[in-house]
This record gives sequence, C-alpha cells and structure tokens, in this order.
Amino acid sequence: MARSSRFSSRVDLAVFVVCLLAALIIAVIPGQAREPIARTLRRSVMAPLVALQSGAERWRAAWVAAEREAVTRDSLALKAFSAAALEAENAQLRRLLGLGSRLDWGFVPAEAVHSAGRAEPFTLTLTAGSRAGVTVGSPVVAPEGLVGKVVSVDPTMSIAITFSHVDFRTSAMTADESAFGIVSPHLGEEESDSVRYLLEMRGVPYRSQVRPGTIVYAAGIGGVFSRGIPIGSVLREIPTPEGSWSRTYLVRPAVNPGLVNSVMIINTQRANSGVEGVWQMTTALDSAVRGVVAAGDSVVRADSAARLAAARQAILDSAARAPRPADTVRVDSLGRPVTAPPTPAQVVPQRPAAPPAQPPAQPPARRVNPQPAPADTPAQVPTADTTRPR
Amino acid sequence: MNWGVIVRTAIVCAILVVLHFTLRPLLGWRASIDFLLIALVFGAVRMRPGVAAVYGLLLGLAADSLAVNTFGASGLGMTVVGYASSYLKAVFFADNVALNGFFLFVGKWIFDVIFFLASRQLTGSDFWLQLAVWSPISAAVTALAGVLALTLLRPVLEARTA
Repeated sequence: MARSSRFSSRVDLAVFVVCLLAALIIAVIPGQAREPIARTLRRSVMAPLVALQSGAERWRAAWVAAEREAVTRDSLALKAFSAAALEAENAQLRRLLGLGSRLDWGFVPAEAVHSAGRAEPFTLTLTAGSRAGVTVGSPVVAPEGLVGKVVSVDPTMSIAITFSHVDFRTSAMTADESAFGIVSPHLGEEESDSVRYLLEMRGVPYRSQVRPGTIVYAAGIGGVFSRGIPIGSVLREIPTPEGSWSRTYLVRPAVNPGLVNSVMIINTQRANSGVEGVWQMTTALDSAVRGVVAAGDSVVRADSAARLAAARQAILDSAARAPRPADTVRVDSLGRPVTAPPTPAQVVPQRPAAPPAQPPAQPPARRVNPQPAPADTPAQVPTADTTRPR
Repeated sequence: MNWGVIVRTAIVCAILVVLHFTLRPLLGWRASIDFLLIALVFGAVRMRPGVAAVYGLLLGLAADSLAVNTFGASGLGMTVVGYASSYLKAVFFADNVALNGFFLFVGKWIFDVIFFLASRQLTGSDFWLQLAVWSPISAAVTALAGVLALTLLRPVLEARTA
C-alpha cells in the first residue's frame, strides 16, 4: 500500500514535471511557433468563450459610454447653471463699474455678505472697513439705488443696515420735487417676507398726489443720503390714520437686498459734495425728451411753412403765366360779354399784369392743396380751379 | 472520487470559466477577479496532484490563447498552482472556507508572480508595484469571490475527495 502510494506520488511528480517542462517550452518558443497553437485553441475550444468575452466587452463599452455621456450631460448642465450665475454676476459688476465711473471718486467697493443669523435679518456685512475709509453713517448704494447705511465699522469690515431695517429713515422726494416725505420700512400688518421688504413714504402733503410708478429719490435732507439716490418706485397709496392731512405711499425698493452681492460705500466727503447726475433722474430725462420733441416740432413747422410758401408762389406764378381763355368769357343774350362775379379766386387769373408779390386777394392757406408741389414741376401745380371757393 | 463528484465539479468549473469570460470584462476592475484560478483551485483540490497539474496546464493554455505575447506564462503558473493546491490539500487534509480562501489568495499571488516573471511584460518599478500592490489586491478580491462561490455552490460540491 505504501509502495503504491509512493509510486502514485512519483507518477504525479513526473506528470507535474512534464507539464512544467511543456509550459516552459511553450513559453520560450518563438512567436511564429506559438501562434498556430493559440489560433487552434481560439478557433476550437475557446471560440464560444471568445464570443462571450466579445459580448461582455461590448456591454462594458456601452455602459462606459453611457456613463461618460451622463457625466458630460451633467457637467454641461452644471456649466449652464454656472453660466447663468456668471452672466448675472458679470452684469452686476458691469453696472457697478459704471456706477464707479460716474461717482469718479470718494467710494469704496465692497462685497456684501448676507447675515445668516435670525437676530439681524436686515443687516449686511461689508468687506471694507475703516482702513479703506469707511465711516459710520456712510451710504451704501448699488447700481440700482440705495441699499442702506453703515452702522458699525471695524478695520477690515463693517456692518450696514438695509432699508428694510426698522431703524432706517431717509427723506425722499419725487423727481419733479412735487412731493416730499420720509421713507421708512413698511412694517404693515401683513407679515409676509415680500411685503416686509417694501417701504413707506410717509408725510407727503395731501395736495401732492403721486402716481403709481413714480420714482422716489433721496432728498438729501438730513445729511446722510445725498440728493438724487434712487430709493424705489411708488406702488400705491395706503390708508393711514393721518390720511386727512397727509398721504402715505407704498414704495417698491429699487434694489432687491437679497440679490445684492457687490456694493459701493460712499464716503462722507463724496456724499457731502452731492451725487446728482450719478443716477439719471426721471425729470431730467423727461425734460430732455420734451426738448427733443419740441425741437422736432419746430423743425417740422418751419419745413411746412417753407413748403406752403413755395406752393403759394408756384400757384401765383402759374396763374400769372396762364393765358386768358376765350371760352371762359360768357355772353349774355345780347352777345355782350359778362364777367363773373368778382371772387378772390377768379380775379387772380384775370389780372396777369398784377405783381405776383402782391396778389389782390390771396386765397386762404387752408384752401390751398396741402400737398406741396415740387419746385421743378410748375405745370403740375394746381390750376386756378383748385383755388376757387367752394 | 465518484462520477457524481466529477460531474458536479466539472459543472462548477465550467460556470466559473464562463464567468471569467463574461463577468470579468463586464466589471472591468483594475484588480480583477480571476475566476479561472478559482476554477483551478476548486478542481485541483478534488484531483490527484498529477491530474491537477495537467488540468492547470490546459486551463492556462486556454487562457493564453487570447494573449499571444504571453502564451505559455499562464500555463506555467497554473500548472504550479494546480499541483501545489492538490498536494497541499492532500497534506493538510482540511476542508473549510477559510482554508480555501487562503489557498485562493496565496495561489493567485503565486500565479501572478510566475506569470509576470515568465511573460516579462513588466520591468523595474512597474513589476514590483504590480507584485506588491495590485497582485495582493487582486488575490484578495479573488479569494473573497472564491469564498462566496464556495458558499453558494457548497450544495453542489459537498461531496469531496479523500
């Protein structure tokens, strides 16, 4: 038994050695000699497995392609979202640059960090402080208009209240200065956030009625906010207990404080020197438009008068040149010529000798054909019949 | 070993070979599962060492037929691993999941060493990186997959050779 086992072990060992030698020989023989063996295996025993592997690799390739496509779609969508945000930020920064160029001096650009705490929901943390020249009370503005004012200053940062803060007050006026009032946050009974961000313009004299849509500007009274900074636009009048002697208007702010990221802090000297002209006031725009319209009207009127004079002159000239037609002389029953009743229109052609500059009876301008005749076509000028009274 | 065990073992090995050519490319892992080695060890431990060596040589040549440049390297490695698995199984005479997992881990690692030495595909730091990092990871993954397969297929493979 033991001998048989030893024999089996030797046989196993011998088989192992033979297999090992075969594998070594196969591994070291040149490629040209190995390829026929491999090809034979691929085309016989391994053919179904090769087909399975090809199918699996196709599935894998499709899976990877689908994943790559999904990743590409996701990244494109992400970029699209980022592009919209970047466009908005770019537009805001461009407006801020425009505001900076109009202010020209005396301002500090800053980033506005919105307070996350619930205790002070209407404050902004600004990334500029006393080292940049910011002082307490400096107005904070955006390209669209007023944002708030600085209430606390540190060397590198400052804190500002927005116009929605309960402590915010400023004098306000309409662009034509027909109405003045005090703008403060709207703390109405409606406690929804959208209403809470509105403003009230109080104390407007009862005789000053402001239409909805009218732009309200800082009046500059009180010294904090310079005259001409836009505050918002009037939404409607709201009833108040003092409604018998003054009016109160609901004002929609020009700036959405939730979207403010970059602001300008105007320093005291610049605020004191005034910012009129930095923001376009509606009255100036209206007056400019009216001026343009008036200038256009005057030009049109002058042109019409010139054309009218030319038409009159052409009529007179043609009338002077026209021969007296014989068939226009009527005769009575005795054969005597009968002249028509002297009307201004008919008299003119019958007096060729009369100087054209002084017609005896000039037809009223409203009866002349309003279509002016071209100067180089006098034959087409209306004849005397067109000037005959009707 | 009776015919029933032979047939069951053959079926299990065939399933593992098919998985090697379907699931492995589908997963596409860098440290992939070597189902062929699992099939080799599962079969070898149920064979005599000499037969296991032949079985390893044939399985290796089948795998090598798809890679002409390394033709023979897998045959060499699987011959060694097959014979060693059968011999060590006979020596230790144990049959538990942990020992099978250990055989699979060591077998895969030794196979990789022999394969990359014989194929001369990698040299220098790449060779050592493969043997020190990727081969152990692949061996571990293969051992885990083998243990899982053994657990699932135990009803089929419950009859073992003496």
